[in-house]
This record gives sequence, C-alpha cells and structure tokens, in this order.
Amino acid sequence: MTSKQFKSGAALLFKVLQQHDVKDVFGYPGGAIMPIYDALYDSDVKHFLCRHEQGAAFSAIGYARASGKVGVCLATSGPGATNLITGLADAMSDSIPVVAITGQVATKSMGSDAFQEVDIIGLSLACTKHSFQVRDVNDLAGILTQAFAIALEGRQGPVLVDIPKDIQLAQVEQALSLVNQKNKTDAQEPANVGSALALLNQAKKPMLYVGGGVGMAGAVTQLREFINITGMPSVATLKGLGAVNSDDDCYLGMLGMHGRKAANLAVQECDLLIAVGARFDDRVTGKLAEFAPHAKVIHFDIDQAEIGKRRGVDVAVMGDLKVNLPALAIPLAITEWQEHCQQLGKEFANDYTYLGKGIYAPAVLNEISNTLKANNQAEHTVITTDVGQHQMWTAQHMDFTDPSNFLTSGGQGAMGFGLPAAIGAQISRPQDTVIAVCGDGSFMMNVQELGTIKRYQLPVKIVLVDNSKLGMVRQWQQLFFDERYSETDLSDNPDFVALAQAFNIKAKIITEKEQVSEAIEEMLSHQGPYLLQMKIDAFDNVWPLVPPDTANDKMIESIK
Amino acid sequence: MTNHTLRITAENQPTVMEKLLQVTRYRGFIVTGMTMFPESDSSLLTIELSVQSDNSIEHLQYQLNKLIDITAIKLDSDAASLCRT
Repeated sequence: MTSKQFKSGAALLFKVLQQHDVKDVFGYPGGAIMPIYDALYDSDVKHFLCRHEQGAAFSAIGYARASGKVGVCLATSGPGATNLITGLADAMSDSIPVVAITGQVATKSMGSDAFQEVDIIGLSLACTKHSFQVRDVNDLAGILTQAFAIALEGRQGPVLVDIPKDIQLAQVEQALSLVNQKNKTDAQEPANVGSALALLNQAKKPMLYVGGGVGMAGAVTQLREFINITGMPSVATLKGLGAVNSDDDCYLGMLGMHGRKAANLAVQECDLLIAVGARFDDRVTGKLAEFAPHAKVIHFDIDQAEIGKRRGVDVAVMGDLKVNLPALAIPLAITEWQEHCQQLGKEFANDYTYLGKGIYAPAVLNEISNTLKANNQAEHTVITTDVGQHQMWTAQHMDFTDPSNFLTSGGQGAMGFGLPAAIGAQISRPQDTVIAVCGDGSFMMNVQELGTIKRYQLPVKIVLVDNSKLGMVRQWQQLFFDERYSETDLSDNPDFVALAQAFNIKAKIITEKEQVSEAIEEMLSHQGPYLLQMKIDAFDNVWPLVPPDTANDKMIESIK
Repeated sequence: MTNHTLRITAENQPTVMEKLLQVTRYRGFIVTGMTMFPESDSSLLTIELSVQSDNSIEHLQYQLNKLIDITAIKLDSDAASLCRT
C-alpha cells in the first residue's frame, strides 16, 4: 500500500476498516470528525446514523454480540466522545469487541480547552482494553490494525482510537505497513488438565457453572459435547444463557440473585464446581463465603486475572475452551447426583399460576419463547433486553439456542441497552427476527433510537413491559427500604403507542391476559417494526430473590 | 497492610503511567513510592513501583500484565521498599 492510493487520513480510515471486513458502522457526526464523515460519503462502508452516541455504542455492541464480529462506532470530540463512555464500560464489563473512533480537535489546539475538546484518552482508559491517540497520519493504519487485534485477542473488549482533525485531513506520506501489531496474549499458566481430571474423577456431585466466556470463545459446541460425555448437571450465568441446550434434563437454568431455586440449591450442594468462562460475579455468588461451601473449584478461563479474584480455585485451566473442554470430557459415574438434580428441576419448575387479574409478564415471555420454538424460529431470533425486572423475567422464562441470541447488559446493568442493541443485532442479521424486551423506565433512556428504526425501516419488535414504575428499584424499596417509594413512580409516562406511531412504527397496547396470544401472533407475523405495550401490575415482583450479602440457598419467594 | 515493590518494564507511550496508576488505585493499592526513567534508547521505561495493600499482590500483577504497553513485571520481594514509613 502506498501514498498514491490515499489522499487523507480520513480516506485511509475507511480503507483500513474495509480491510478488516467492516461493512457497517454506527455513529453521529460533529465538528471534529467532519473530515471522516466527508470521506464516508465516498466509502462503501455503510454508516447507520443513530440519534445519540450512546445509541451508536450500544448498537455496535449488539452488532458484535449477535454476529461475533467487531462492532465499530464513530463520534465527534467532546460530548460526542463522552456519550460513548457508558457503551465502552458495558463492552469492557461484558468483554465485547468494539472499536470506537473519535474525532479530536486539531493537534495544535489540544490542551488549550478548545471548543468541544475533552481528554477522551484520559476518560476512556478506565473502560477500554486500550486507547490510542493518532499523532502522525502515517501511524493511522498500524494503530487501527492494532486496535482490531487487541479488541479480539484473549479476553475480548473495547478499544478507542482518537484521531485529531488535522490528522484526518493530513496527506498520507509514507508507504504504509498494516502489519505493525503489538499483540499481547494474556500470560498464562500451562493448562492443568491432569490435576483437573483427578478432581473430576473424585467428585460425586460435580456442577458446571457456565459463563459468558463460552459464547465469546465460540465454544458452545465443545461445551455441549462436554455435557453429553460427562452427563454433568449445569447452571448458567445471565451472560451464559443459551450455551447449554435448554432441553438437557440436568440443566437447571440461571443461578444467582434471581436464579432458579433448583440451580441455587444444587450449586450449594455440589462437591466440585467447574466454572467455565465465568467470574464469580457478586450477583452470581450472593454471600461469597457461603457460596458452594462444600465445593472444590476448577476454573477454565482465558484471563489469568480472574483466577482466584473472588473465590480461591483448586485447579485453574487457562487457555482456549475449544481445546481445554474436550481434554476434560470423560464419562462420569454420577447417576445418583444426576437424578437428584433432575428431581430439583422438577420440584422447582417455573410456575405460571397467577393470582392477579391482568397480564403476567413471566407467562407472556414464556409464551413468546414457546411460540418461537413451535415455529422453528428460535434459532433465528435474537432477544435483547433493557435492565430491571423485565430483564430478569426474560432470563428466567425464555429459552435461548445460543448466547448470540440473547443480548443483555450483564456486568454494568446499563438501562437503555435493549433498543439500540436490537438495532445493531438486526443490522448484523437482517434475515432474523429481533425482539427487544424493554421496561418502561429503560425504554425512555434511549427512546430516540426509534428514529433509527424509522430511518432504516428495521423490522425490530419491541415488547414493552409497562408497570409505570422503575420496577426493580421499586421492588427493593418495598423489600428493603420500608416501602418508601422514592422517585420510582412513572405513572406520567407518555402514550407509548402514539409515540411509536409518530415514528411510523405499528403499535398496540394490551391490558388483559385474554389479549396476549393474539397480540404475540400479530407482532411476530408483522413484516415491519412493531411495538407491543403490555400493561402489568405495578407490584408484580421478580422471584426468587437472594437478598444482599445472603447465601444463595436463603431465597425470598414472596412478600411475607 | 503489606508493602511490595514491583519492577516494571513498559513501552514509553504517553498513557502508560496514567493507566498503571489508575489500575493500581482501582484494584485497592496505595502507591508509597515510585521512580521512572527511560532506557537508553527511550523506547522503554523502567518503573519501580512501591505499593501497600491488604489485597493480593499477585492479582495486581495479573491486572497490570494485561496492559498493552507493559512488557514485564517482576515482584521484587527482596528489595527495600521505597516507602519510608
């Protein structure tokens, strides 16, 4: 590649993006990124104009998670760049490969408190794997190549590349090499397969604790094969949902604060816990000192820093799950334990009996899940959520065929994730169905992205679970703050149907359970975007719930 | 609180010191002393970082080792801490 091919840094940027197979980017223009948007005008890279930079970041995340590719977002300097920060933090917590490109004021103005200048490098260091600032246009291609490599290698995550305006405009002078990589693989101990096998052979009650790392490693097939060979019972984290075949008799679903009772009880009983791409998050463990108290621990991971971070391990198996899981897949004689776990699963199966008169959200979500399965649509459907009660109900009551079919903000719990993530997922998988399950509080946090749906006529379906509350906070106020409902009432929400219709999105509100089945059918069969608002009782709660700093077997299952 | 000294080799990049100190603080360590100087060709930095914490120093090493511009970390268990307290 030589300077003859490119005129400016901005033009070079899109050439390098194409070399990394980037077909779609999400962004929002502004002063300090105008040369890049000018070059975009002549580029084959397709740009999706979001209506807020946070929407662009979440859409890039949704795109990455649904497709396994790197998500790319663009923003201008100053407020444009700071608006990306929540998305970068989400991508960092949930290990999502994203490259964020920000415009910056010209190098001669940097450090002068110039208009729309912010130290985005300083701000982003805490929520990216790495941040680059390009100071010489001849470094641009090499830096971008490094950014993609860093985003994807080892434990995946976000990388920011800040490009001053004069660098975007500068002429590329030198012959360029794209191979200037500074890859850094995580320092790792050798895989302790022998020690792990010894523990596995001794175990009478082994339990597989499946995290988001399985999907990120592309190791769903190897995990399912491991389960088939060992017959081991399993539970999953929020981000691990979809990795285990939900029809497996010994799969007990999600564990943790809002986990299934069967999952939490079985983990508390197990004598060997095998964590696979999971990090003993506080929402999973409850009171850490009393989590799986009888268990030895084998921990499979790609990130050495996760080993022993919260829970000591007996054997760490570092490296690629696609290699390490098959190495430990041996048949186990654990019939009694399997039967016990199956019994727990049956005894504490989800119950959809509802004493209220109106719509019961868990039952609706389960019906959507069952309808997708009955229509053979489940494999080709992506579900996204916002954050709160509806998120936990979705995790508890819907089944997923793959982790890339369930996108939710796990580590950060970022409200407003669902709608823009659904947009990104729909763009990456245009033939598939994408359903955003939103709460009425979260939905309003990025409601402007309805404009993106309208602009590109994306057939995203929105299930708006509307209790006119900030439901999860309201639930905690009821349980732990003496029913002092501080600032959680949203009864003055807008008319959501009218709001959707203002964006040319077909919309319907339902209030009675008799309306549910027909409404689901109508939504799923509609060709374009659709918003289904369902009013639910403001005081429906998510059960079970493990109170803060409490062992997972001490779940609350109702208001006393 | 335990004192430790880390000897770190890092690429001489503008953000490396900032990120090093950020991760050290975030993971619960107090910096009690630090020296930093470039190697002769200026492309690498040698950093001696003394820290204090109840947290595991190994875990700080693992976190720092993930930083792109840090090329080597050694726990100097024999070195006198730079901390004068």
